[in-house]
Amino acid sequence: MLAIEVENLRKEFRVQQNREGLKGAFRDLFKRRYNHVTAVENINFQIPKGEICGYIGENGAGKSTTIKMLTGILVPTSGKVVVNGYVPFQEREKYVKEIGVVFGQRSQLWWDIAVIESFQLLRKVYRVPEQDFKKRMDELVERLHLQEVLHRPVRKLSLGQRMRCELAASLLHNPSIVFLDEPTIGLDIVVKTEIRQFLKEMNKKYETTILLTTHDLQDIEALCSRVVMLDEGKIIYDGDLEQLKQRWGKGKEIVFHFAEAVNMQTLQQLTQGMEVKWQQDHPYEAKVWVPFEQENVSEVMRSVVSELNINDMKIIETNTDDIVREIYKSGSAETAGENHHA
Amino acid sequence: MYYATIFWDYTKTYMKTRMTYRADFIIEVLTNLAFQLMNLLFIIVVFQHTSFLGGWSREEIIFIYGYFMLPYGVFMTFFNLWDFTERYIVKGEMDRILTRPAYNLVQLMLENMNPSSLFGSLTGMLIMGYAWLQLDVTLQWYDPFVLLLFVAGSVMVYGGIYISITALSFFSDAPTGIHALMWNIQNYGRYPVNIYNKVIRFVLTWILPFAFVGIYPSAFFLDKEVTTLFSFLTPVVGLAFLTMGILIWNFGVRKYRGAGS
Repeated sequence: MLAIEVENLRKEFRVQQNREGLKGAFRDLFKRRYNHVTAVENINFQIPKGEICGYIGENGAGKSTTIKMLTGILVPTSGKVVVNGYVPFQEREKYVKEIGVVFGQRSQLWWDIAVIESFQLLRKVYRVPEQDFKKRMDELVERLHLQEVLHRPVRKLSLGQRMRCELAASLLHNPSIVFLDEPTIGLDIVVKTEIRQFLKEMNKKYETTILLTTHDLQDIEALCSRVVMLDEGKIIYDGDLEQLKQRWGKGKEIVFHFAEAVNMQTLQQLTQGMEVKWQQDHPYEAKVWVPFEQENVSEVMRSVVSELNINDMKIIETNTDDIVREIYKSGSAETAGENHHA
Repeated sequence: MYYATIFWDYTKTYMKTRMTYRADFIIEVLTNLAFQLMNLLFIIVVFQHTSFLGGWSREEIIFIYGYFMLPYGVFMTFFNLWDFTERYIVKGEMDRILTRPAYNLVQLMLENMNPSSLFGSLTGMLIMGYAWLQLDVTLQWYDPFVLLLFVAGSVMVYGGIYISITALSFFSDAPTGIHALMWNIQNYGRYPVNIYNKVIRFVLTWILPFAFVGIYPSAFFLDKEVTTLFSFLTPVVGLAFLTMGILIWNFGVRKYRGAGS
């Protein structure tokens, strides 16, 4: 069953252009010029129920705009959005009862009253029966370690505590789909890990569909089976994370520190016939890239170690950060892959 | 029923918040009252120079003023959205409102509820009572019910105009000044319309019908035959303007663009 279905979705904004200087400002007063900015350009994707999908992209790539259309806040310029069988902006009030939303940079709790009172108020707004609420609350308190913050006003919480409360608040009504817009922004590594763990468990237990945007690729690596990557309003990659790494990663990197000076030619001779790439910055040091699935790392190491004296050696995994940066630089996942293999 | 329960819960929340800032609450109530009493004082000063204003006596004008304070207090309690553009549009708080399963305008009203303004309505009742004792007009059995109906109508007039104007925030980035303008115009509604020229009278009756929050409905209780028809138009005009306001609002929400983040 599909949880989210997006077809040819598009959102344009009209942005006023300001002319320069006082004279320009005066002219703006009478005749305005507008620019049409396309924030999201005809995107298509489908997310089945129970999937955790990461939605990534640089600032201004259109992530938030998409999330806002999916949650019914914004009305699309054109295209189709169906979430949970609803068209979000048309039946908004009915639809939002079944979703949870967390905007990392915005609070949904009442600033001056105790956390538990905010939860009680939300219970009423979402019409959650008392008993369900109690059960749910017990579980959330235990999982997110909220016991000691429940009776404190929100303004007295640390960012990490507040974020955990925000998460709990968005899950009180047991939504089947959860949208998280940068849920880990500004948090320390301990809280981040805790939140990731929690989301994973929740997904497993309730089959909650999760769509999250983030700048922290570790969130993606820890949580998502699938990644949708956005650039300038267009989807440039949609698929699983492993594949992204395998196809566009540079493979593994081995760094050698030699006991004597070595030149490039010797190195290339040693690995003749293997599809590896050497790079040398220093006579005593060299790096070699071993592409995924093509060469065996131990094979490469053996051929080097058997011939040369080595002081030290290090294996570096490709990290997602590098891949993503690479893809952005070239503007499309397709060309990034080609560049590398060439 | 649902809205009644959340109304009660929001009220409780309001009170809890208010208890934490007790001094602030008292000062707010006092300044509100002081402001209203200043206006009343102004009326009294005017009547020290003349005994009639367009055929209306001092007590009658005071009675109108007292009436005006009733819907005004109720209105101020529920439509406390002066910083709507700043808070909800520019800072994007509207996003949060729109992701909750209750009508967005009701949520906004409840979130910003300010029941301390009801003290103004209470004062208004006292002023009306005082003026009525001086005036020697007979009280009919149906008067309290008619009063209720008229106050409801006047609140709807206020609400309708105010919602329409606030909804402009969805279309324009900074509709500053409009609120201030409206604020000045609404003051005209407290005085007999026949003292104004035709254009202003027309505006106050049909365009920005502030005459229906003061002079028209209260004239009914003063047995001024001239405006009885207009008195009973109060709930009709109120309903019409409220409907219009809500339609404009709903249209505006579709145009909401959110704040970038």
